[in-house]
Amino acid sequence: MSMSSAGAAATAAQRPAPRKGARRDRIRLFQEMGMLAPAVILMTVFLIAPFILSFWTAMTNQPLVPRPTPVRFVGLANFIRIFNDPLFWTALWNVTRFTIWIIPVQCGLAFLTALLLHQKIPFRNLFRGLFFLPAITSMVVVCVIWATLFQYPTGPFNQILGFLSFGMIQPIDWLGDPNWAMFSIVLLSAWQAYGFQMIIYLAGLQGISEELYDAARIDGANALQRFWNVTMPGLRPTHVFVLVITTIQAFKLYTQVAILTQGGPKNSTETVVHYMVRIGYEEQKLGYASAVSVILFLIVLVIALLQRFLLRRYDV
Amino acid sequence: MSDTALASAPLAQPAKVPAIRRKRFNAYRAIQAASMLIIALVIVSPLFLLAVASLKDDRFQILADMGTFRAFWVSNPTLANFAEVAHFSGELAFGRYLLNSLIILFATVVGGLVVNSMAGFVLAWGSLRGRAVILALVIALYVIPQESIIMPLVIMVSRAGITDGFAVQIVPWIASPLYTFLFYQFFAQLPKDLFEAAEMDGASVFRVYRSIFLPLSLPALATVSILMGIEAWNQYLWPILVTQTDYARPISVAIATFFGQDSIFWDRAMAASVLMMLPILAFYLAFQRWFVSSFVGSAIKG
Repeated sequence: MSMSSAGAAATAAQRPAPRKGARRDRIRLFQEMGMLAPAVILMTVFLIAPFILSFWTAMTNQPLVPRPTPVRFVGLANFIRIFNDPLFWTALWNVTRFTIWIIPVQCGLAFLTALLLHQKIPFRNLFRGLFFLPAITSMVVVCVIWATLFQYPTGPFNQILGFLSFGMIQPIDWLGDPNWAMFSIVLLSAWQAYGFQMIIYLAGLQGISEELYDAARIDGANALQRFWNVTMPGLRPTHVFVLVITTIQAFKLYTQVAILTQGGPKNSTETVVHYMVRIGYEEQKLGYASAVSVILFLIVLVIALLQRFLLRRYDV
Repeated sequence: MSDTALASAPLAQPAKVPAIRRKRFNAYRAIQAASMLIIALVIVSPLFLLAVASLKDDRFQILADMGTFRAFWVSNPTLANFAEVAHFSGELAFGRYLLNSLIILFATVVGGLVVNSMAGFVLAWGSLRGRAVILALVIALYVIPQESIIMPLVIMVSRAGITDGFAVQIVPWIASPLYTFLFYQFFAQLPKDLFEAAEMDGASVFRVYRSIFLPLSLPALATVSILMGIEAWNQYLWPILVTQTDYARPISVAIATFFGQDSIFWDRAMAASVLMMLPILAFYLAFQRWFVSSFVGSAIKG
């Protein structure tokens, strides 16, 4: 990142302006403040303020609609209630399950496709363009499409399964069976976000110098050895990035669940954000919901810091 | 989609392979081609299915066809479903919802481009004292997910008496740490001479930004427009919390609400989904190269 060097250069260039331009300097300063102000004000009001407010509300019994009784400070009571609520732990466990499943399905497939596309194959720009299509499709639209694919008992998936197994496999109630619902959510989420990760991997592969491969070839490394000793180490930052972004997205899982299963059946697809919205919006307990959002922030922060730590040797 | 439209993408061109070698059958090549086709089938067929189903007029037929190969074929295509849902008032006002979404998208992107690029410019080339601190703060703020500020934001908005409308869906998302940082990063790597020469000629900071740096920043403007546009288009959680009536309801919420009803009119749901997909798809086909590089560009740090 070249931010500090470029910034320092800009100040240094500006510095040697003695008293002659003092008035001009002042005008310039005002202009700069004016240009910075909209962003600073908007971020303060709509990002910093709610962020700080969330820590405060989390320790009150704030309702959604104002009540005649004053809002009370309740300390850590909300957090204690959350940690004593089995549903919260179910939600946490569900997003963890989601992460464990989606990493091989989505990241693995994205990685394999990127490896294929990185080679000289015909129509590869066309393929890349097609594979990226779901990534620009709205999650709401994805849900409509996949709800038809998942139809029970005669939807396309069940028909294909029945056909391939000569009728041995009984139709699966993809979204209605607690054992399958989260896995079904994984499938459609992977389908939607896979194209994005594929192009991240492609960019990573293009970043590995061709000379390294040439050198490995001269040393007599075969294709597999080149993969393990050149490609994989070269992709380390990409792998870490993809894993971190996937995990963070998993913890923010909401839209697909809200539209397709509402957390059910039997809470098998309840997620942290869905739990938060349910408490805050439907049960109108905003203090309690804010406490969940503080926990969500801390989880995301830990994952982001973990990424920094894992990539500390790389200049990113 | 023609191959030539995509050929301008920045990936390396396939090298010319001598004709004799190409003719030899190669098992590896065959596996490669087969896996590409299978992946393409998995990725594209759900979208194809949506397009085909939206052209079928009979909702019971859509469901009956779903489990057969007829799901991929429509014998007498009709636009009746679109005519049915694309109203501007009433129960199926998806025309209106689409327009609402476009208004929100347009206002968010235009506002975002102005606000974030000005801030990024000052952070890169300004002479303000606290610049480094503000920049560090902007980077730190990037970690905060939208989901974790949304509950307090609901309190703020409802205390302010705002319960519906366009502004509440647009204004909070205009200024963004990520996009300010992307602009900052872009401006900072432009040559210093550019700034100095203009200043020497007596141009004010705003002039330098407006007349010299902004015209050079088409890649950054395109990247931020695409990322912000997609984000605004796909907003779902925030609008369900703050829109009560269909006055400013975006199409994402409208489809989800329609879809949540007990007996689903699949023909209409499909047509509405296609409506929601079309604008983004048109942009994607026109600016495919920019889309891909934008998403790569968004993948900086966490």
